[in-house]
Amino acid sequence: MKLNWFTRRGIIYVPAAIAGWLILLLAAAYAVYTFIDIDSHSHSVSDTMINFMFNLLMIGLVYTIVAYCTEKRVVKDSTDSMI
Amino acid sequence: MKNEQDFLKQMENLSIPDVDPSLHQQKVKMTIMNAERSAALGVWLIVLPGYFLLCALMSAFFHNKAIDSWLFGMLFRDLLSTRASILDSLLFFGLPIICIIINLLAIVHVQVEHISPTQRKYKELSLTIKLKFWNILLIVISTALLILFII
Repeated sequence: MKLNWFTRRGIIYVPAAIAGWLILLLAAAYAVYTFIDIDSHSHSVSDTMINFMFNLLMIGLVYTIVAYCTEKRVVKDSTDSMI
Repeated sequence: MKNEQDFLKQMENLSIPDVDPSLHQQKVKMTIMNAERSAALGVWLIVLPGYFLLCALMSAFFHNKAIDSWLFGMLFRDLLSTRASILDSLLFFGLPIICIIINLLAIVHVQVEHISPTQRKYKELSLTIKLKFWNILLIVISTALLILFII
């Protein structure tokens, strides 16, 4: 089953369908929630930023894996061969 | 006698077919995964352990106590202690291994074939590595991270 939800620009996946935009919004909303949660527990700005950055990277990784599996594949991709 | 000389002259003047011996080696070698896609995902797979390593180094040099808290601090303490949690193993062992695998599958082509149709008893293994800079760099960084976390 081909799902064309994302297109790749370098290492960043950009949504190309409504489902892709929904996933991006969900990830962004979760990132904001994580930031508020961490900020309420932390003792300093660096504490917040170190923990939030780690969580943001984890969210980015999960988002990228989802986008990797559902990206729009160009015909050029399938002929990645060496002669 | 004359016929023989004519024949010899004719044979000497025969045009030799021009065969390039390197041409028969050219064949399409498909890799299992796409190199650019693997590199794009590979970057994300090593950013997380890389960031963790950077923070650990900063903590060691600057004696920063901020990493003692929350999820990051918990992972850090677990990693330093003798018992590493499942999440630790997944993040710092699983991710670099996945990165190595997907990037290797994108640049390596393996083929086992008979040396010739007449000699079917003997086989040869052809291993071709595509020289893609980013994929090779990611494999090297992942291997370094893996070795570092194992040690």
